Amino acid sequence: MDTQPIDWAELVGAEWAEWYAMTPQERFEASSKLWQTYLELGGSLDPEPDSQSPFYSDEERRAFAAHGRPGLRVVRRGGI
Amino acid sequence: MGGQACVLYGGAEFSRDTDIVVLADDDNLGRLAAAVAELEADVVAVPPFSRSHLEAGHAVHFRCRAGGVEGMRLDVMARIRGLPDFTTLWQRRTTIDTAAGPIEALSLPDLVTAKKTQRDKDWPMITRLVEADYAAHGPRADTPRTVFWLRELRTPSILVDVTRSAADVSASLVPKRPLLAAALAADVAGVAAGLAAEEAREREADRIYWAPLRQELERLRLERRR
Repeated sequence: MDTQPIDWAELVGAEWAEWYAMTPQERFEASSKLWQTYLELGGSLDPEPDSQSPFYSDEERRAFAAHGRPGLRVVRRGGI
Repeated sequence: MGGQACVLYGGAEFSRDTDIVVLADDDNLGRLAAAVAELEADVVAVPPFSRSHLEAGHAVHFRCRAGGVEGMRLDVMARIRGLPDFTTLWQRRTTIDTAAGPIEALSLPDLVTAKKTQRDKDWPMITRLVEADYAAHGPRADTPRTVFWLRELRTPSILVDVTRSAADVSASLVPKRPLLAAALAADVAGVAAGLAAEEAREREADRIYWAPLRQELERLRLERRR
């Protein structure tokens, strides 16, 4: 039995549909650009704290933070 | 094997570290030691960099100090729950050519297995990874790929579609994945309930797998404080 083609934008949203439609190379380039912007804005290289990770230790996270500072913090959120 | 591999396959994760899996034999770990020396990378946290810790299933965490990669975190593992040894992973790997050179990534099925953890963030990632593969190849694909979707898809409506177009293969997989029976019956709610049960089982299995390793990490932290 044939199935109807999936409308990916409807199923997952336009942004995800666009991401899925890219080649691995295009996604790699897009991700690299995002990284560049993040670093230029002063983003931290510390992995996000993840208390669900089996490796997580709050004590170590503070002790081994890169540059001795925490990651980017959201100091203001716009309203909706 | 981490966030960067997910990006290549169609997931999206803004991962700030680089996760790699390595062959933990003496020759290769010697080469890895030379590479981390070139990156001026130091071990952070526990455990220390050793073959025995890698073989036990631990991750060794480095931070780089060399110019151009200052602050970069590198996490190294040699064993991943649910996956075979490195040699098999390497044989099954995917090579992706990029502007920065070829990248050797875990195969998509292996990456999906590696993501079946106790962490909330990994489960939506699995959904995205398999959806992206289906978007790129579906709905008509060879049998191995169809079997992969039937075993790993986490989107109820797509699972119903795939079972409809591959009913015989789907029926043969019901013993391994019981929720396919609900998909064959176009029971979307039943599929969703089955997916939730699958996730709960895998999370618990991951917790059980890591329990002794976490105890060992805690012991190593205590030793380091003394």
